[in-house]
Amino acid sequence: MLRFFVRRGISMVFVLFSLTFLTFIIGHLAPGDPILVLMGARQDPAIYARLRHLYGFDQPLFTQYLNYVVLLARGDLGLSFSYEGRPVRELIAQGLPISFGVGGLALLVSLIVGVPLGLLAALRDGTFADRGLVALALGLYSIPSFVLIPLIWMVNLAIFRAGYPNLPQAGWGTPSHIVLPVLVLAAANIGYITQLTRASMLEVLRDDYVRTARAKGLFERTVILRHVLRNALLPLITLLGPTTAFLVTGAFIVEVLFNIPGVGRIAVEAVGRRDYPVIQGTTIILGIAVVIMNLVSDLLYHVFDPRIQLTE
Amino acid sequence: MAQHSRPTDPVEAAVRDNRRPPGFFQRLARGRTALISLVFVIVITLAALVGPALYGVDPTHTDFASNNAPPSRAHVLGTDRLGHDTLARLLAGLRVSLLVAVVVEAINILLGAPLGLLAGYFGGWVDIVISRLADMFFAFPGLLLAILVAAVFGQAVTEQYGSTARLVLVAGSLSLVGWPLMARYVRGQVLSLRERDFVLAAQVIGQSKRGILRRHILPNVAGLVITAATLDVVNAIVGEATLSLLGLGIQAPATSIGKMIVEATPFLAQNPILIFVPSITLTLLVLAFSFLGDGMRRAFDPTGR
Repeated sequence: MLRFFVRRGISMVFVLFSLTFLTFIIGHLAPGDPILVLMGARQDPAIYARLRHLYGFDQPLFTQYLNYVVLLARGDLGLSFSYEGRPVRELIAQGLPISFGVGGLALLVSLIVGVPLGLLAALRDGTFADRGLVALALGLYSIPSFVLIPLIWMVNLAIFRAGYPNLPQAGWGTPSHIVLPVLVLAAANIGYITQLTRASMLEVLRDDYVRTARAKGLFERTVILRHVLRNALLPLITLLGPTTAFLVTGAFIVEVLFNIPGVGRIAVEAVGRRDYPVIQGTTIILGIAVVIMNLVSDLLYHVFDPRIQLTE
Repeated sequence: MAQHSRPTDPVEAAVRDNRRPPGFFQRLARGRTALISLVFVIVITLAALVGPALYGVDPTHTDFASNNAPPSRAHVLGTDRLGHDTLARLLAGLRVSLLVAVVVEAINILLGAPLGLLAGYFGGWVDIVISRLADMFFAFPGLLLAILVAAVFGQAVTEQYGSTARLVLVAGSLSLVGWPLMARYVRGQVLSLRERDFVLAAQVIGQSKRGILRRHILPNVAGLVITAATLDVVNAIVGEATLSLLGLGIQAPATSIGKMIVEATPFLAQNPILIFVPSITLTLLVLAFSFLGDGMRRAFDPTGR
């Protein structure tokens, strides 16, 4: 157990190092002098030197990186270029709860819908229903969100034109605004989770102990609920990591198109303003979110399945 | 000829019979979806290559007499808000999207495959260095690294080197996410090949490491590389569209399928066909490459499922 934590810790440090180091280097290589941009029309060498010092650009590269990491560890992501020295942390802190809210709900919805669909497909293996569900899952998984969003908008528009109550197309503020983004974000994950649940179920259904359970005359329902389900659903915990990564990329598009003031939109707006500290900050924060989810899923897997050797 | 005059020899008969195991394309063609997908991909590629010349309409020509128009005889698929011909733009956009995909996969293959090969075959510190390097890029979830790179360097590259360089930058940033995956696949395959009997046999008869790598490992890895690249085309196309959507892709007046979707989105209510055409093309393209890649995987590995 201790060895697991040490190994896991080392690999996490490595991931965090990679994340911060590459992000730092890319920001450093960024073309253009941000200080000149910041000063705008009032070009004054004295102010230039002071700002350069204030932002720490006058120090050696390695020192800059170390400073960057030390500040990061304290939760300091630097100052935004475009918001006149507002801390990046403040900007991200505004968007984070919104993004996590939408992402978390999407994850919940995709589990609630995806797992039963996968179960159903596996239990009806080879039938018309199974093939239909597999096709549906593949479709949901492969349709990119920016194709799905206009489709949903068209449907919503048609509902509106027919005179029925409809949902807001985009925007933020009321609970009704959250429905469409969550559905779009969940869609691809539903496809993914359905496929994996089905595959996992089919594998377990072939196991010897399931045959034994049936052979000793248990009701099919008992076999499924007691013996199959538990072992089939266990691997789904490992999905947590990739699914979060999925949601992170999805969040950019969904937040931009639905006009949601989350981290994704903050990052995209920062791109337009060449506000590198904000872009770097969002990248690192979202990367860390995935790192944490991967760790959580590893630990949960251990909690639920003591057979798993964590030393590997 | 005279030496081979004993047709009853079973070995001879078997050789004469010459029923070679079905070739790669025969196995590929056995799957109907893979075959249909292959045909679709070829048609789309041809359309992107010769389509613009055949159709002969300038995708940047603005016909102000008809903007946001429905399909007509003059504009087969209608026009967009600036009066651009949708079909002409679709053909031009396909060209860009496929070109980006080709460049991405070329980088993935030329960078990822050799590194994976070295890591898997030589092991030791070579493996450690290459694997850690690949792991560094895995630290970024999804397209995050591509977005970061395209965002930071995009404008400067366009200003200094023009729109072709921008296209290469987009492809390059997408392959930052792709090559580590390719390297990892190849490394895994090489690790298992290295233990196989025919490689051991080659070692026993004293073949050099380079010889083994070239004669025995490389041919067996090639199938995996091509399959992985085909499947990854999906990521490249969707990735390019995502970057376009975030304003980081190719810049106007050039277009790509992703950009067409973005630009059509505000006119959803007035002109739904404008968004329908690129969306359906992109979805079909993505599905076709997935099915094709799947079929190739099966064709290369007849024993596996």
